[in-house]
Amino acid sequence: MSASAPDTAAKPARGFRIDLKTAGPLLALALLVLLGITLNENFLSYSNLTNVLARSSFIGIIAIGATFVITAGGLDLSVGSMAAVIAGVMIMVMNWLIPSFGIGWSVVLAGMASGILLGGVAGVFNGLMITRGRIEAFIVTLGTMGIFRSLVTFLANGGTLSLNFNVADVYRPVYYDGILGVPWPILVFALVAIAGEILMRRTAFGRYCAAIGSNEQVARYSSINVDNVRLLTYILQGVLVGVAVLLYVPRLGSASSTTGVLWELEAIAGVIIGGTTLKGGYGRIWGTVVGVVILGLIGNILNLQSLISPYLNGAFQGVIIILAVLLQRERRTS
Amino acid sequence: MASSVGETAPIILAASRVSKSFGEIPVLFSIDFDIRPGEVHAVIGENGAGKSTLIKILSGLEQPTSGSISFDGQTVVLPPNGAAEAMGIVLIHQEMNLAEHLTVADSIFLGRELKKFGFLDVREMRKRAAAVMETLHVHVDPDARINTLSVADKQMVEIAKAISRDARVLIMDEPTAVLSVGETQTLFEQIRRLTARGVAVIFISHKLDEIMELAQRVTVLRDGQLIATVGTEALTPDSIAQMMVGRELSNLYPPKHEPDVDAPAVLSVRNLSALGVADVSFDLRRGEILGFAGLIGSGRTAVAEAIVGLTHRSSGQITLDGKPVDFTRVSQSVDAGLAYMTKDRKGKGLLLNMGLRPNLTLLTVKKHLRAGFLDSASETRALERAVRRFDIRARDASVAVGRLSGGNQQKLMLGKTMESEPDIIIMDEPTRGIDVGTKQQIYHIIAALAAEGKSIILISSELQEVIGLSHRVVVMRNGRLAGVLEGAEITESEIMRYAAGIKQSGNDERISA
Amino acid sequence: MKLAKTLLAAAVVVGSLGGIAVAQDKVTIGVSVPAADHGWTGGVNYFAQQAIDRLKVTYPNVEFVFASAPDAPKQIADIEDMVATRGIDALVILPGDPDAMTSAIKQVKDAGKFVTVVDRQLSINGVENLYVAGDNPGLGANAAAYFKEALPEGGNIVILRGLPIPIDQQRFDGFMAGIEGTNLKVLDDEFANWNRDDGFKVMQDFLTRFPDIKGVWTQDDDISLGAIEAIKQAGRDKDMFIVGGAGMQQIIQAVADGSALTPVDVSYSPAMIATAIELTTAHLVSGVQVSGRYVLDSTLITKDNAAGFLDPASPF
Repeated sequence: MSASAPDTAAKPARGFRIDLKTAGPLLALALLVLLGITLNENFLSYSNLTNVLARSSFIGIIAIGATFVITAGGLDLSVGSMAAVIAGVMIMVMNWLIPSFGIGWSVVLAGMASGILLGGVAGVFNGLMITRGRIEAFIVTLGTMGIFRSLVTFLANGGTLSLNFNVADVYRPVYYDGILGVPWPILVFALVAIAGEILMRRTAFGRYCAAIGSNEQVARYSSINVDNVRLLTYILQGVLVGVAVLLYVPRLGSASSTTGVLWELEAIAGVIIGGTTLKGGYGRIWGTVVGVVILGLIGNILNLQSLISPYLNGAFQGVIIILAVLLQRERRTS
Repeated sequence: MASSVGETAPIILAASRVSKSFGEIPVLFSIDFDIRPGEVHAVIGENGAGKSTLIKILSGLEQPTSGSISFDGQTVVLPPNGAAEAMGIVLIHQEMNLAEHLTVADSIFLGRELKKFGFLDVREMRKRAAAVMETLHVHVDPDARINTLSVADKQMVEIAKAISRDARVLIMDEPTAVLSVGETQTLFEQIRRLTARGVAVIFISHKLDEIMELAQRVTVLRDGQLIATVGTEALTPDSIAQMMVGRELSNLYPPKHEPDVDAPAVLSVRNLSALGVADVSFDLRRGEILGFAGLIGSGRTAVAEAIVGLTHRSSGQITLDGKPVDFTRVSQSVDAGLAYMTKDRKGKGLLLNMGLRPNLTLLTVKKHLRAGFLDSASETRALERAVRRFDIRARDASVAVGRLSGGNQQKLMLGKTMESEPDIIIMDEPTRGIDVGTKQQIYHIIAALAAEGKSIILISSELQEVIGLSHRVVVMRNGRLAGVLEGAEITESEIMRYAAGIKQSGNDERISA
Repeated sequence: MKLAKTLLAAAVVVGSLGGIAVAQDKVTIGVSVPAADHGWTGGVNYFAQQAIDRLKVTYPNVEFVFASAPDAPKQIADIEDMVATRGIDALVILPGDPDAMTSAIKQVKDAGKFVTVVDRQLSINGVENLYVAGDNPGLGANAAAYFKEALPEGGNIVILRGLPIPIDQQRFDGFMAGIEGTNLKVLDDEFANWNRDDGFKVMQDFLTRFPDIKGVWTQDDDISLGAIEAIKQAGRDKDMFIVGGAGMQQIIQAVADGSALTPVDVSYSPAMIATAIELTTAHLVSGVQVSGRYVLDSTLITKDNAAGFLDPASPF
């Protein structure tokens, strides 16, 4: 009985075959970029690329939170509505604070703090209902999706909440300016993505998320506090929705009941395109980033051409999404 | 009848020079195998010997790379995906293939439901299911949901399903791995009834005594090669074991070291009550292996789970090294040096879709943090250590552990448990469904741990194992402690007497034992 | 002269028999509108509520049942409930999806209720007693007229459309007919779903794609607000102007202030719902004869007349 170390050298005859499961989303991204270049010469221009990335950053930041939730075997359908209500409350808080704080960064910072705080509170609520209330995540977040959406409609009195113009001028640079020509939303998106990747790969929390999503019982028997880890994923999701809204509000300075409609589906689609398994147990942040950028590029490319009738935009999106996932499907073992 | 059943009957199913490779890896080499109606033909071999592949080929789930299959004397290509059931070849899987939320009647008729006017004829199916259960002398409500049944009853449902399909060849992959002694006997009675009716049974088991009892012939496989097919009358358990591992298995159980009878109790349980456990008290000494015997469902696992805080404890005191403890989370018991290794390695022990490393360190991730971040080099070192210590064999560390053999999974789980450096280890069925060679390794590991001064609670349904390893044996019955055996008392018959309720010891004796 | 309610309803069905209700008699009017899913429908909800509050004071014997529905099935359920359980005598409805709701509205009419349809044309003619609408082709035509005037030499323009429903098509057709024969060149049109965020995205991409744009027609002020931000971001707000529609306060204010980017707007006021409720109430209470079509003109709002369109209380 020889003690044999794991034989890491033995991977016969695999050679240089591209591992589609890993490279699938990148391949889809490359194909889209090629398509974009052929359709329009401005596609690769710096301003177009920053436009698309900045636009994708809200969904991207939310989707990074969703990657943790989904990896741990959960789901959060409420993020779009949550974004709307956070945007609404931030605007109201800032408008309300103007008399006491005056026009300036202090008002904006207070608004930002309220946004993050509200996101965290919303996440705590979702998480507690799911972990302590023992209700299916789908049902809880379907419920809060409706609650948040109605709340913003109510706050806006059915119309639109607009940020005071003078404050909006102070706040505007947070979306439109940046460092060395890279807009803030892209920088924040990148930072969140890097932090997310480290959190997922290199911390006990990330490992626990994957373990819980893979098999909750095993996690419990392995002394993991399943409820707390789950709860944390929803709080993280809520806080990241808050961060996304911080970047969203300065763009148009308004929020209405249409803000963030269907963001939850875009975020989930981005996560899945990126290679995270919908039923949990495996997640990768860089994949989510690629997935969200793919979704952003699809919209961009559709607007940059006139070959496809605008009536068929949805079909084109659907084809690309299915293709991206098809490219990385698990080969059934023979 | 003699012409249709037994030794003179024509062969019903045969494999001739069958080989199988997965990709470039050969797993079966030119195997000959046959079975007659009314016969029980056992297939044995260590994990990875090729048993599963052979039965998959015999039931059409895999096609042989070369060689042929004949059925009723005709060379056939068995239809894939279980369609061979229509021909009367039924495979009962090791992991049972019952939909957990269907009823018993639904399960028996799954895929060939009876219909009336295009709608399901629920009443007729229920009636017929009850009739089949009746012929099997099994008392299971046809309306019961599968997930409410015991493992043994599920097995009976599988057999009822096979019978209702007029199975002519029944292939059973380790049906007794999860059954108690009594349940195994019931199963054997069913098998004998079936063979009397001319059904051919191919039976896979690691338990040599069962094979001696049930089978007429035994086919031994080792490393994908056919070693021998012989009649059981010419065999002894020792000779079968030798053929399986290709070497002498003189000392399956390591010699017991004498524990220090004056050693302090490291774990004391007094009047423990929890779901499925009533008023259980016992002591575990330093360096001791304390066996827990009893029928399945007698509450042994429930005791362990209540101690470590996996389930709620309704009353009772637990002291660890003289200090009272109250674990409400597993992490607390692990921190206190008390680890529980589950019997359900696939459902509760290992993350089957992940590699070896994350599984090994899952219980102890925090030990591998450096400045808050996971140190993969430290994890790799831990894996190398565990691989050496427990002889874990895997193609490479990234292979999903679901693809490892049962023995290697078990050794990995043992490694995972030991990563927390516990002083007390509760091992629940540590050798379930693994081959003799690996069992022997695990027995030696357990004995060595005890010799090092670790204290071990060994829960096992294999009496031989409990007897061969334990210094003392606790027998449980219906959630209560039926008796504690010591020294010469530890015999199979004595344990069974307590387990079956024929004998019961007084309260005082239990605690002082 | 006292008439039973049923008699009154019968009289209404007959049309112009001149059934006149007396002040003590209770009359119930149902008002059904789509939920506030964008600024304009938000305005509809506001003006409907406002009209109801005002009329309740004027006519204490008139009761209103107000419902706002997010989709067609809900709106159908709303009006069925109004007939079945609230016993309405008349229905004022702005159908979210007119094609899907035509038969349901016809049933209300067949049950003998007075039906006023607002803004969106049903798929069968003659169902409603009264049709109150804004002028969709006129909205397109008015905008087209301004483009012709502002760009006499012609030039490149882009169009941001709403949602693919008939109103959008009518506006689009009206605009295209209006610029026919000029040198105005429509580079492309894309749907921006009457939504600011989509207006921003589509405009950003148009700006990337077309280096030379003289004018933008969005036919809706919500889309305009998104597009304006995109244009400002690209620093091309001196190169082009943008014409929306519907008369949102924020845009009217900009027009009044003489903005070069939004020199004009075209009215398509959500207050039309108030007009419809008032006409219907007047008919039921005092027997004023109303029937046929009331089309509220779409007018061009310029710097000169903008003041008349400003209403600080309006949420739209």
